[in-house]
Amino acid sequence: MKRALIAVALAFIAASLAAQSQIVTTVDPNQATKVLKIAIPFPELTPPATSTNAAPVASEVIHAPFYSVLTRDIAASGVFAIAPIPPNVPASSNLAKQIGADFALKMTVWTERNAQTNADDIVVEARLLDTTGGQPFGKRYRGVVASLSLMAHSLSTDIVRAIYGKPGIFLSRIAFASDRTGTWEIWLMDWDGQNQRQITQHGALSILPSWSPDNERMVYTSFARGTSDMYIVNRRGGGRIRVATNLALNTSATFSPVGNDIAFVGSVNGNPDIYLIKDDSTNLRRLTSSATIESTPEWSPNGRQISFTSGRSGTPQIYVMDAEGTNVRRISFEGEWNDDAAWSPDGEQLAYTSRVNGRFQIRIMNLVDGQSRIIAAGEGSNEQPAWSPDGRWIAFQSNRSGKWQLYRMRVDGNDIQQLTSTGENKEPDWSKKIE
Amino acid sequence: MNNAVKGFLTGVTAVALVMTPACRSKNTKVKDEAVHVQPDTAPTVTIPPHDTAERVQPSEDFVKPSAEPTVTADVLPNNTEELNRYVQDKGLIKDAFFDYAEATLSSEAQADLTTSANWLKSNSKYNLLVEGHCDERGTEQYNLALGDKRAQQAKDYLVASGVDASRIRTVSYGEERPFDPGHDEGAWKQNRRAHLVLVGK
Repeated sequence: MKRALIAVALAFIAASLAAQSQIVTTVDPNQATKVLKIAIPFPELTPPATSTNAAPVASEVIHAPFYSVLTRDIAASGVFAIAPIPPNVPASSNLAKQIGADFALKMTVWTERNAQTNADDIVVEARLLDTTGGQPFGKRYRGVVASLSLMAHSLSTDIVRAIYGKPGIFLSRIAFASDRTGTWEIWLMDWDGQNQRQITQHGALSILPSWSPDNERMVYTSFARGTSDMYIVNRRGGGRIRVATNLALNTSATFSPVGNDIAFVGSVNGNPDIYLIKDDSTNLRRLTSSATIESTPEWSPNGRQISFTSGRSGTPQIYVMDAEGTNVRRISFEGEWNDDAAWSPDGEQLAYTSRVNGRFQIRIMNLVDGQSRIIAAGEGSNEQPAWSPDGRWIAFQSNRSGKWQLYRMRVDGNDIQQLTSTGENKEPDWSKKIE
Repeated sequence: MNNAVKGFLTGVTAVALVMTPACRSKNTKVKDEAVHVQPDTAPTVTIPPHDTAERVQPSEDFVKPSAEPTVTADVLPNNTEELNRYVQDKGLIKDAFFDYAEATLSSEAQADLTTSANWLKSNSKYNLLVEGHCDERGTEQYNLALGDKRAQQAKDYLVASGVDASRIRTVSYGEERPFDPGHDEGAWKQNRRAHLVLVGK
C-alpha cells in the first residue's frame, strides 16, 4: 500500500508554465556564492477561478508536509536566505522590494478532482517574483496528499536550479542500515531525514548499502544465507538478485560510476582483497594481492581510480590505485586507523574515518595539495562519511547520543543535524545523481 | 532413552569389556563429565557341576573394575543450541581470543584450539562454523575483513591439528555481533574471538 502511494506520488505532474520560466539570474557556482534573500509567505488557499473541479485545501494539510519542508530546503540551499516577512501579506514584487529581499515566492495551493484516479489531487502553483516585477521561475505541481513533501522537494530543487544554475539536492535520498525492526535491514530516507522506509526484509543482518550511479539500485551485504553475500535491489525494494562470487566476505560493495562493475572485498582462505565483478555475477577480477587485509573500496567519480583501506603498513591506512589495480599509492599517513574513504563528487577530495586521540572523526583530504583537516564533528565517534551529490554536505554516523545515529553536516562541519532517532542507524550512502 | 544415549552406553560397555587388569595399574584420571561407571559387582563364575567342593575364587584383579574408569564421554544434547552451550561450558570446545587489531594466534589461543580439535576429531558427526568477531574500537568495514582473517587462522590451526578441512566453514561478523555489549576492555577482550559453533552434518 505504502509502495503504491509512493509510485503514484512519483507520477505527479509538474506542468511548466513555460512562458514565464526564463532564467534571468545565475550565480556562478565557482564564485563565492552571494546569498540571496527570498520571502516565502504561506501559500494562498483560494483556487483560481479558471480551474474546474477545484476546492480549497485546509492549511493544516499542507503546513508540515509542504510548507515546512519547502522552507527548510530553501534555508539549507546555501543559495537563499529566508527573509523575515510581515504577517498576512501576500507575496509580490512590492513585498520583496519593501523588505529588502531579492525575491518573493508566490504560491497558491488547492485540491482538484482527478478524473482518472477519482481522488483529490493537490495542486501547487509557484511563481518566483523579483523586485522589478519579473518572474524568473513559474511552475505548477500536482500530486496526491502523500506526495506533498516530494512536491516541496521538487519545487525547492527547481528554484535553486533557476537561480543558481545547478539544481538543489532536495530530491536526493540517503540509504542506510537500521536495527529498528530487531534486525539490521536496509532503509531509505529523504535528504532531510523524512519518509524513512524499509527496503529489505531479510530478517537477517543486512548492512552497507551503496547506490548505483543512476539512483535506481542499491548493492549491499546480507547474511541471509548464513554467509555474507552481495545483493542488488531496486530502490523500491523489488527485483532482488544475489551477486554470486564463490568468495567469502562479499562486503563493502560499490557500483562503478561508469559501466556495470561492482568493486567489493572478497576473501580466499582468509585473505581479504579488492575484487571486481559484473552486476550479473560474471567476469570476476582480483585487483589487489597482498597477504594483508584490504577492504573498503570506493570508486573515484570518473571511474578511473579506486580508493581502499589496507593494513600493509601495519595499521589500516587509505590507498588509491588505478581501476586496473596498478599504480598503488598511499594517501593517509596520520593516525593509526583510517578507513571508509569516500570521494567528493568533483574527485578532488577524500573524506574518511580517522582516529584522533582514541576516537574516530571525519577527516577530509585534499588530493590536489595533500593537506587534510578534521571536520569538527562533536562528541563520540564519527564514522562512515558520505558526500551529498552536490558535494556541499556529508552524512555520517555518530554514537554521541550513546546510540549510533545518522547526522548530516556541511563540509565545513557546520549545521549538524540529526537525521534518525528510532533504533540504531548507521552506514549512510547518499544517492549519486542529482535529480 | 534416545538412540544417541543407547549408542553411547553400548560404546562404554564395549570399552569396559576389553579392559584388562593392566589397565587398572595405569591409574588413569576420571573426568567430571563421565556419566557411566562400570557396576561394582563380581563377574559371574560358572562352577563345574562335578566339582562343587572347589569353588573358583576369581582373582581380585580380575573381578574388580577400575574404580577410576578410563572412559570419558558425554550424553550430548540433541538440540544444537544446547549442544553448543554444553561443549563450551564443559571446556570441550574453546573459542580462540585475539589481541587488539591482530589475527595471529597467541599460544593461549593455540592451546584452546588444540582442545577443540581433539574433541572434534573424536566427534566426527559434527561440522564446525568458525565465526570471526572483532571489538567495536575499529571501523566496521575493516573489521569485517579482520574477522575473516581471524576465522581463517582458527580454521587453519584446527586443520593442522587433524580436523578434516571439509568439516569447517568460516564467516566474519566483524563488530556486528558483539558477545559483550559493554564499552570497556573487559567487553572488548570478549569480543575479539574466533567463535566455534557446532553444526549438524
